[in-house]
Amino acid sequence: MKILLQARGASLQALFFVLLCIGLMFVDHRFQHLEIVRANISLALSPLRYLVSLPATGSNWLNEWFTSHTELLEENTRLRAESRILNARLQKLEILAEENARLRSLLGSARKIFDDVIVAELLSVDQNPYRQLIEINKGSSDGIEIGHAVIDEFGIMGQVIHVNPQSATTILISDPEHAIPVQFVRSGTRSVAFGRGSTTQLELRYLPATADIKIDDELVTSGLGGRFPADYPVAKVTAINEDRVRGFVSVIAEPKARLDSSREVLIIKPRQ
Amino acid sequence: MSRLRYLVIYLSLVVALILTILPLPDVVQTYRPNWVALALIYWSMALPKRVGLWFAFFTGIILDASQGTLLGQHTLALVVIIFINMNFYQRIRVLALAQQAIYVFVLLLINQLIVAWIEGIMGRPTPLLTFFGGPFIGMLIWPWIFVVLRDIRRKAILR
Repeated sequence: MKILLQARGASLQALFFVLLCIGLMFVDHRFQHLEIVRANISLALSPLRYLVSLPATGSNWLNEWFTSHTELLEENTRLRAESRILNARLQKLEILAEENARLRSLLGSARKIFDDVIVAELLSVDQNPYRQLIEINKGSSDGIEIGHAVIDEFGIMGQVIHVNPQSATTILISDPEHAIPVQFVRSGTRSVAFGRGSTTQLELRYLPATADIKIDDELVTSGLGGRFPADYPVAKVTAINEDRVRGFVSVIAEPKARLDSSREVLIIKPRQ
Repeated sequence: MSRLRYLVIYLSLVVALILTILPLPDVVQTYRPNWVALALIYWSMALPKRVGLWFAFFTGIILDASQGTLLGQHTLALVVIIFINMNFYQRIRVLALAQQAIYVFVLLLINQLIVAWIEGIMGRPTPLLTFFGGPFIGMLIWPWIFVVLRDIRRKAILR
C-alpha cells in the first residue's frame, strides 16, 4: 500500500514538472519575462565559459609566443604597407565624409556616415545544431543593447539578442529564424534575406521573375526595419532559381562575413 | 561532513556541463553524447532517493540557459527520462553493463525525441544523423561512465 502511494506521489510530481516545463516554454517563447532568469544563469555560468575557452586562448598565446622573429618582421612590414595604403585611402574618405556631411547639412538630413563601434571577441559558439548563435565577450556594462548589429571586417554577421553584464548572445544572419532587409547594389531592388541554418547560404524568396538579378551581384543592408545600419555588405549572389509556374525567383547568396571563422567582431552602436 | 560528500554529485554534473559547452569541430559535434543526461541517469540509478525529479528539473533549466534553447526544453526531456528511470532502476541496476547500455540508449533516444519534437513545433527540423548520433555514442560510453562514477561514489562513500 505504502509503495503504491509512493508511486502515485512520484507520478503526480512528474506530471507537475512536465506541466511546469510546458508552461515555462510557452512563456519563454511568447514573452520576455524569463529573460532575466536566463541572464542570471548565464552570468553564473560565465566562469565555466571562460574555462572552456582557455585552451583556444592558450594555444593562440603559445602560437604568438613561438612565432619566429623573421615571421614577425615580415608580418610587420606587410602590416605597415597595408596601414600606409589604408591611411592614404582614409584621407580621401575623410575629405569625402566631410563633403558629404556638408552637403547633407545643406539638405537638412542628419544621416551619419561613421557609426560608433565596439570591438569584441568570440567567447563561444552555440552547440545547438539547429541554431546559429555566438557568444561575445562584451555586454551591457560596455553599452551593448539588444538589437545592435554585429559585423566583422568583411560584412554583417548578425545582431545581439540577449545581453548579460559581461557577455552578449548574437544571432547570425544564417540562423533559420533570422531575416535581414537587403538591397541589390547594382539594381537597387529591395528584398529580405533569410537564414537557412548553413553559414554559407542565405535565401531571398519570392522575387519577381522580372527583377534584374545576376550571379555575383552584391547585396548590402537596406537600413529598412531600423535594426541594421544601411549600406553594409551582406552577401553575394551565388545561384538564381526560377519558379516558372508561380512566376517567382528565389536567390541563394553567400554571406560576405566569415560567419564560421571570425574571432574578432565589431558591434555597431547606432548614434542617437 | 556527510553533506559535503554529496558535492561530488554536483561536481560531476558541472564537469558534464563543461563537456557539453566545450567547442568541437562540426564533424565531431554531431556525435557529442548528452553528458548531462548520462550523469543524471547514473546518479538517479545509484541514489534514487537523493537524485530525482527536482534534480532533473534544476539541471535541465541550467542546461537550457547554457544552450540557448527554450527554458524547459531540455528540462522536460530530462524530467521524463528520470521519471522513467525511477520506475525501472531496481531492475536495471543488477543487469550487465552491456544490457544497461541498451536501456540507456533507449532513454537517450526518448530524451532526443522530446527535444526534437519541441524544435519541430517551432519549425526547425532535426537532421537524422544528429538525432541518432548522440544517443549511439552515449550508449557506447555508458560502461565507462558507470564505472568511473561508481568509483567516485565509493570513494566518497555515498549510499
